[in-house]
Amino acid sequence: MTSQITASPLQVCRDCGGGAPVDAHFCPQCTKILTISRHGDYFRFLGLPRKLHIGANDLDQRFRGLSRQFHPDYFVNAAPAERRASLERSSYLNDAYRTLKSLISRVEYLLQVEGLAARSPQEASQQVPQSLLQEVFALNEELDEIRDLRASGTPADQLKARLEKARGPIDEKRASHEAQLDELSTKWDALVDRNAADAERRPVLEALRERVLERNYINNLLAGIEREMSNV
Amino acid sequence: MSKIVGIDLGTTNSLVAFVKDGAPVVIRDRGGDALVPSVVSAAEDGTVYVGREAQRRLLTDAARTVYSVKRFMGKGLDDVKGEASLLPFRVGGDAGGVVKIGLGAKEFTPPEISAFILRDLKHRAEAFFAAQGEVDNEVERAVITVPAYFNDAQRTATRDAGRIAGLDVVRIINEPTAASLAYGLDKRHSGLIAVYDLGGGTFDISILRVEDGVFQVLSTGGDTHLGGDDIDLLLMHKVLAEVGWSQTAEKVQEIRKAVIQAKWDLSDREETEINGKRYTRADFETLIRPIVDRTLDPCRQAITDAGLDASQIDEVVLVGGSTRIPLVRRLVGELFGRTPHSELNPDEVVALGAAVQADILATGNREMLLLDVTPLSLGIETMGGVMSKIIMRNSTIPATGSETFTTAADNQTAVDIHVLQGERELIADNRSLARFRLRGIPPMPAGLARVQVQFQIDANGILSVTARELRTDIEQTIEVKPSYGLTDDEVERMLLDSFEHAEADFAARLLIEERNEAESVILATEKTMRAPEFPEIAGKDLAPGEQRRIEAALAELKAAIGQDDREVIHEKTHALNDATKHLAEVAMNRSVQAALSGRNVNEI
Repeated sequence: MTSQITASPLQVCRDCGGGAPVDAHFCPQCTKILTISRHGDYFRFLGLPRKLHIGANDLDQRFRGLSRQFHPDYFVNAAPAERRASLERSSYLNDAYRTLKSLISRVEYLLQVEGLAARSPQEASQQVPQSLLQEVFALNEELDEIRDLRASGTPADQLKARLEKARGPIDEKRASHEAQLDELSTKWDALVDRNAADAERRPVLEALRERVLERNYINNLLAGIEREMSNV
Repeated sequence: MSKIVGIDLGTTNSLVAFVKDGAPVVIRDRGGDALVPSVVSAAEDGTVYVGREAQRRLLTDAARTVYSVKRFMGKGLDDVKGEASLLPFRVGGDAGGVVKIGLGAKEFTPPEISAFILRDLKHRAEAFFAAQGEVDNEVERAVITVPAYFNDAQRTATRDAGRIAGLDVVRIINEPTAASLAYGLDKRHSGLIAVYDLGGGTFDISILRVEDGVFQVLSTGGDTHLGGDDIDLLLMHKVLAEVGWSQTAEKVQEIRKAVIQAKWDLSDREETEINGKRYTRADFETLIRPIVDRTLDPCRQAITDAGLDASQIDEVVLVGGSTRIPLVRRLVGELFGRTPHSELNPDEVVALGAAVQADILATGNREMLLLDVTPLSLGIETMGGVMSKIIMRNSTIPATGSETFTTAADNQTAVDIHVLQGERELIADNRSLARFRLRGIPPMPAGLARVQVQFQIDANGILSVTARELRTDIEQTIEVKPSYGLTDDEVERMLLDSFEHAEADFAARLLIEERNEAESVILATEKTMRAPEFPEIAGKDLAPGEQRRIEAALAELKAAIGQDDREVIHEKTHALNDATKHLAEVAMNRSVQAALSGRNVNEI
């Protein structure tokens, strides 16, 4: 990590013209709040390495600590440029915190900054992931049957029971899926820790990306079952 | 640097407060009154009255008097048709445009009407600071509170009202958050708070989470037409059923005053009189029980919406005058399984919280930090009339979101964007905020341009938009046309217009202040003379003829406030003050003695 920071580009303080590291929040020369730079990312902004396991307390504390440094409430009497910088920096902080708070959005964000952004949810949901083909096929068949039964007047509690049952394998899939995500995250974090080469990182990122697509798909399936439930 | 005050701009009443020596206090008029009724009235000669005086004119000149204007803030004509039919004043405007309200011969937008109230509060605060002997007594900046569920248009309308009144609205905060700040609940390490706000005409319930001084609104609910006014109406029906329904307007007002007094009495006594008959608290509670019950369902719903159980709520805060009613406190206490906070005056608690926030802003004190959330998701219209969400509801503000657009035709240089707020799928079910036209896109083949539109919600929950074409890095021009709001030019013009009123307003204000002071002296005198211990005082402590002199002075002042002569009112107020000086001393001594001997005054 140290090598990364020293190699990081500088940003220029608009107030005094002095240089500052890209992830600094205040100008080291004139102490004014810095206009947000277009470089950097959420991890660096919060002073975190680009790892996927983050302690919830650690993240909360960093968020509150930084909020107390540059929330617009503390810049009401400042010059317009500083007020603007405080608004931008606070917004970025809130967005960063929201994104890094849950593992799944953290993974999605990591893929984005590593240049492997997942396709849009709409696009992703159209294509059935290989690993889910079997479950999707079975579920669709079952849902069709349930719709037919509903049309022929089968009592609601019977339909509900079948839907619950149909849900089982998908729920299981999701649980095993969460475990896989967790495992891959641990793997990724180890690579970051030992500053591994891109060639080593790439396969892990690709695998993470697959999991994210599958996850979106699983969620869509579960939402479909929920919809049927409410129709019953 | 000028002062920052906190303002509760309410549907029924408004107040202004500030922090003095570290503690928030409301600013009262010379008569000791903190509440400014949110009523504005225009006389035939164009004089505009605000507050008590305007409220009085509700009886004599209802068609030229506007109240409950908060219900119209940031709304379009189509939104308020039902509401408007219930009110005596004219509500108009262009279809699909901002509401206009008739006040006398002129038409005003809701922010302009609210600005009359804000200007009155501003003057009240300035007069107060001047009387304190402060050199810098100008008030130019304020924190104003709004209901947690207010959307962008309603918040913007509130900020515009401030600007028209000559106030820079440095922060808009949510009312339940303000109430929690007033109670210092931010000092809890972590906790869940329910804020129960039963006002004159509206009921709001909010569930908040506080963590290390950071507030988040988890859910809100309520009833926009439920409050103390409904209780008054029930009592009036009861009396009118007894005395007959056909009464003169004056008599009806007399009854109204009497039942409101009875309602107040029953908050600290077990019984009172209405229309010459004994009326107990038990009778009262049976009568109003259905109204109070109607507040409980929204409470349960809000708890469920927050994903909680009533027993998880750590603190319950009461806001609004109607929460003085013991039955309300009891039922709310039962629902949440804990005694609600009622140490602060429920009419003042929101304004006090606004003052706390104002002080944080003015001093830069970093012990407390209020992080509100946006109550509604923000999105844009996409193909097929579907809303695509860009900033999700409950996001901590300030927040940003962005969306990239492209062009559909070759050499297209502009894109239209429709911004909405709400949770529903279809745009027709959500609130239209604004339409933007992005111009200045460099001509290129269809689908090649990449225009990134950045949406920024600031700490007040108000939206602004910027755009950039990514290929050329050219900043785009955006024309904002708020769907139900005012453009900057309109606000500027209204600000100029308002200066023309200033002179006439000044004379009217002096008269109003004089009248308010007179009223409060009358009220205090009548209260003392109606107290159960008064006959004993009159017999034992008062000089012969003293009671008669007081009654005469009282009658003279009452006659004087009906007239428009400020000097006469001033003189008669002093006369009554002098006449009651001895009585006040006697009454005070008795209550001090009662307190010292540990007994309630009412028990003597």
